[in-house]
Amino acid sequence: MSCRHLSYSYGQHRVLDHIDFHLRPGSLSALVGPNGAGKSTLLHLLQGQLQPSGGAVELDGVPVGRCRKRIALMPQKGTIDWHFPITVAEFARLGRLSSSRTGCCDVDGALQRVGLEALAGRRLDQLSGGQQQRALLGRTLVQPADVLLLDEPCATIDPPSRQLLLGLMRQLSDAGLTLVVSSHDWGPALQSYDRVLVLDRVLRADGTPEEVQQTLNDVTMGNHYCG
Amino acid sequence: MNWWLQPLLLAIVTGALCPISGTLLIVQGRVMQSNLISHAVLPGLALAVAFGFPPSVGGLVSGLLGSMVAERFLGSWQGTTSHGAVMNTVLAGFLGFGVLLIPVLGIRVDLEATLFGDLLLTRTVDLLQALGALLLQGLFLGLYYKPLVFFGVDPAGAAASGLPLRALRFALAGITAFVVVSSMTAVGVVLVISLMCAPALFGLSGATSLGQAVLKAAGAGMAISGGGFLLALLLNLPPGPLIGVLCIGLLLMGKIKIIGS
Repeated sequence: MSCRHLSYSYGQHRVLDHIDFHLRPGSLSALVGPNGAGKSTLLHLLQGQLQPSGGAVELDGVPVGRCRKRIALMPQKGTIDWHFPITVAEFARLGRLSSSRTGCCDVDGALQRVGLEALAGRRLDQLSGGQQQRALLGRTLVQPADVLLLDEPCATIDPPSRQLLLGLMRQLSDAGLTLVVSSHDWGPALQSYDRVLVLDRVLRADGTPEEVQQTLNDVTMGNHYCG
Repeated sequence: MNWWLQPLLLAIVTGALCPISGTLLIVQGRVMQSNLISHAVLPGLALAVAFGFPPSVGGLVSGLLGSMVAERFLGSWQGTTSHGAVMNTVLAGFLGFGVLLIPVLGIRVDLEATLFGDLLLTRTVDLLQALGALLLQGLFLGLYYKPLVFFGVDPAGAAASGLPLRALRFALAGITAFVVVSSMTAVGVVLVISLMCAPALFGLSGATSLGQAVLKAAGAGMAISGGGFLLALLLNLPPGPLIGVLCIGLLLMGKIKIIGS
């Protein structure tokens, strides 16, 4: 997947400005930045839901608008109605609604991967926050996609659930899926990724976790993002 | 045929019809639309009566128009609080317009029957229309069950999957308008709203699927509407208001877990 000179504006407000990067297949990348940096907007552009104001996003040389079904976006937890009358298994099954192809797992396999097979018949609002996040990931895994875009999957969950999710993401990338994960986490968890993209309207830093850490050792920038 | 049989059948069919629509509206976060449409049918009813058209056709067009006007304005206002205010404004505007049309067109409308209906005056055509609405509602639910579930639980995700959100919402508004006009000629605006909401909340409580919630809601609606009608006959009370009061009873019984609480 590649972004070339990607820009996006909401009216007069420029949210993203000339973003350039290329993701290799099977990589696990973190997209970090402060609130309002444009992380969610970038994910929606990568998925083809939004049309860029300038530049282009391509997957294997094809504009993403023409291959959206190959890219799955896991939304933020807050966009879901967790009180809807639906079981975990039915919720995961919704991932197949827009395509007859199966994703990297069937529903049972996806629930097994996210550790929710024993809770398949339970209502969504009877799950803990971490379990809800895993159910959302389970639904994403059922989608027939080569690229997974995860919007803050580790937000509002406890450290054990976060560790479990990070391990699962690594397994998926080892299986050949390309993952981009937006996050606020600047701690040691960043070391779990192959690559880190630091976004704040423009791409501030891009490289391995060590390289990015080095770049951010600039005190001003480090304070700005870590504070 | 016994004189009470046809009204009882209509009460039972309406008791299923309204909660099914109410459940679909609640899970789509559009419950205010039941209120809006049930009031917005009035101008259409008045115009239809004045010009000799079937009142239900006028009400259907008018209710749908009210819903479209509200949608148009909703685009300009962000936030659920503003949405409620926009809906209420359009509701009041259409209701006011309907009330104005009555003296302007020189027609007679029984306000009590408009609010609470009159089950005892049920005609065969009312029953057939309600059955037609129930059939249409069943078809809609059968054909679009999964998209309705997806849009209810994750509207942004469903839209991103390429499912037609606008078309589905328009169809839902149209069916709601048909349900309202098919129910209110016999049971009135107030009863339509209460039957759309209280049994739907009961159905949603503890249900593990939308289908289960719809069936529970329809069952509760039929019991409360049919039972309310028979109780009204026994107590010699008007059935519409009594059924409305019984709907509050569902809440008082504490058996409803309000969505989102």
